[in-house]
Amino acid sequence: MINNEAWLLDVFEDLQCPGLVLWFLTSDGQRLRLTQPFPVTFYVAGKSAQLREAWKFLKEQPAQPKLSRQSKKDIFLTETIDVLAVEVNAPGLLPRLFRSMLNRFPNLTYYDADIKLPIRHAARFNSFPACYCALQYDESGFLHTIEVQNTPWDLDPVYPTLRVIELEPDCDPFRAEPRFLLVKVDGKQYRLSLFKKRPLLITLQALLKKYDPDLLLTRWGDTWLLPWLSNLAEDLQLPLWLNREKTRHYIQRPERSYFSYGQIMYNGQQIHLFGRWHIDRQNAMFWRDFGLDGILEMARVTALPVQQAARSSPGTGISTMQILTALRNDILVPWHKQQAEQPKTALDLIQADLGGLVYQPWIGLHRDVGAIDFISMYPAIMVRCNISPETGKPGLLETSPEPQGLIPKTLAPLLEKRVNLKQRLASLPRWHPNRKLDAARSSAHKWLLVTCFGYLGYKNARFGRIEAHEAVTASGREALLRAKETAEDAGFQVLHMYVDGLWVQQPGKNQPEDFTELLSEIASRTGLSIALDGVYRWVAFLPSRADERVPVPNRYFGVFQDRSLKVRGLEARRRDTSPWVTRLQMDLLEYLALAEDAADLPLYLPGAIAILRQHLSDLRLGRVPLEDLLMAYRLTRPPQEYKVKTAGARAASQLAEIGKELRPGQRVRLLYLRGGQVRAWDLPQPPNPQTIDRARYIDLALRAAASVFYPLGLPEQDLRDWLKGGIQLAFDFALNSQTQHILLPPFQEEVAWQTIPSRIRLPQWNG
Amino acid sequence: MGRTVPSVTQVFYQEEQALNRFRRALRRSDQQVLDELLSYTRQHLAAATYATHVLPMELFFLAMLLEEHKIVIALRQRLERLEHKQDD
Repeated sequence: MINNEAWLLDVFEDLQCPGLVLWFLTSDGQRLRLTQPFPVTFYVAGKSAQLREAWKFLKEQPAQPKLSRQSKKDIFLTETIDVLAVEVNAPGLLPRLFRSMLNRFPNLTYYDADIKLPIRHAARFNSFPACYCALQYDESGFLHTIEVQNTPWDLDPVYPTLRVIELEPDCDPFRAEPRFLLVKVDGKQYRLSLFKKRPLLITLQALLKKYDPDLLLTRWGDTWLLPWLSNLAEDLQLPLWLNREKTRHYIQRPERSYFSYGQIMYNGQQIHLFGRWHIDRQNAMFWRDFGLDGILEMARVTALPVQQAARSSPGTGISTMQILTALRNDILVPWHKQQAEQPKTALDLIQADLGGLVYQPWIGLHRDVGAIDFISMYPAIMVRCNISPETGKPGLLETSPEPQGLIPKTLAPLLEKRVNLKQRLASLPRWHPNRKLDAARSSAHKWLLVTCFGYLGYKNARFGRIEAHEAVTASGREALLRAKETAEDAGFQVLHMYVDGLWVQQPGKNQPEDFTELLSEIASRTGLSIALDGVYRWVAFLPSRADERVPVPNRYFGVFQDRSLKVRGLEARRRDTSPWVTRLQMDLLEYLALAEDAADLPLYLPGAIAILRQHLSDLRLGRVPLEDLLMAYRLTRPPQEYKVKTAGARAASQLAEIGKELRPGQRVRLLYLRGGQVRAWDLPQPPNPQTIDRARYIDLALRAAASVFYPLGLPEQDLRDWLKGGIQLAFDFALNSQTQHILLPPFQEEVAWQTIPSRIRLPQWNG
Repeated sequence: MGRTVPSVTQVFYQEEQALNRFRRALRRSDQQVLDELLSYTRQHLAAATYATHVLPMELFFLAMLLEEHKIVIALRQRLERLEHKQDD
């Protein structure tokens, strides 16, 4: 018998004999393959006559399941129920057995029928991806005991040192034909020609053999590279060990478009490997947001295999966590939820069917504003008030005497970890190397917590219940109003409120300590933790673009005491805005952020206009690269189904004509050309720069600039007139309900231009 | 998205639509005043949501009155200040 300690890399079904294959990375750096017997069970409930028939049916199945009668808990029922337990020795046989049962007995209720093997393993052994375990196994690689030594909730987990090979074609294969494969491994870089196919495969195979990587980090590996390489290896009959488990082929999951949070999203085809992780940076949902650290954290806390965690939505993550809690607490996991919503009266609906409170801010410029936010408000409410499908309806923000429900049980450790990480993050100095890691992990948690609330209300979620969802928003509204009342009692004016955040102002209160008392008073009145997001030197709330009398809740920008900017809902934040316009708007904002006091802002106006003129002249002189003018629109349906041919639809049709089909949820990048034309960027030939519709881009730029100037009192039309050659610029500057009339002669722009810091003056064209 | 009960904001837009014929028949100058009144309501949609009133339109009128009265108060104070100045 051998004793060893190792990190768990991968778990999957063994094709040779019934059980699992587990790949480990041992503490002394070996890659270890072990097998483990792992019988799995699903449960069936229904009328006893039908169950007897099912019993007979199962007895005749080749899988030879072990049958027994057990008493189990269904979360939506108060009493335990009698179920038929069907245990299969070879986990791989369960799906087929379940399907044949389902065909034969569609009316029975099924539980635990579609749970993935790694999750079952996690439930039984408390394992999770990259967990550290003590192992006991024999010479033939048969695992006798596994004891997991750590938990996903450690603040500083010890990670294994992974061997990584990075693979990347030299260009986007959907835009042009790649010519080289760039390989990065062990500090070395290789550039392999894709046309010399035999040497390519031989070199690649040699590298895979030599380094035996734990992680293949690719770009377009899912959608192009790995299938292409694998087909090539098959054609040329050369070995290519993409999997560590050599007897297996990779798993290919098809692409899909889906609807989430009001948007059509797109997820490309996926390639999953065995014994080794493959992450495609282009296809990893949150790569841009939190990188490998966040993906590993997501995998650890949800117990989803790394390759899946990298590609799935946080919704999958949170429902997996709930399933895990259920399995560990011996609660049945329904295959399909049976419970329908209870009937309600119209009055009940009017009172309950509400979301968070979204106020309209006071439009305009405000000085010394504190922004305060409840920390993970909805999850915190679920934990505090014990809101779960099986618990009773709580009073507003009140604790419950019942034992902790499934949802709070799932969320509590996650919430606690997030709060601890956030507190630590706030205390670390800016240069600290751990900051990035902590931030990545904390943002992975944020997404899981955000989604959890939605899954309570989603009718197909296995542990969803609309009443629980409504109870959360009701407590949320109560918390926001209590916070408002507390702030007003303390003499603050409430400028704006948004679901879980408030913007409050009181003359003379502009230091973080000025808000401490308010925060602790709100915390004690609501029972929820609340934190200061920051104190704004000044903040400007903007009106709707369509009607300037109407404020919109989430369009503002402001400068914190430490000069950092916060921008929401402006053009620069939108993903369809071209990089040139984004840069322009951010330059203006960064320049205005130099103002020590909001009252000084008018002095910065000439300089800001000078910056705007500089950008516009760059465009007129053709100094802006075409890439920086690209607009990126998300398609919401196939191009031929658009009734009104939007710019995005027209560009997508151009691509369709040359055989490049785009799916709903994908973005199409395009340029505006003169004569109202558009041109898709992914067409083979770039357009002639002379044909660019400059007037259109200037118009977009002026709109973006006007959003910045508006709160200073300069309306868009006046700005446009002034740039066309006005004689004098006059406007009313309003701050804290005092208005000041300001006149600017033109020469001030020249003077101001000389004083503008060079980082803003020099255009930064880095794409 | 599929909601059973329209939100207060949705009700507001429906009511606004329903006023279209009325609005069209008004003089241009009156139309602008009506639009302003409606924009007052829009500033208080969050409060109207929270109220969960069966007839939100009543609250919409009240929101208009509220903003109107704010203006009356501001004007009254301004007038008092001016009169005060004249007396000095």
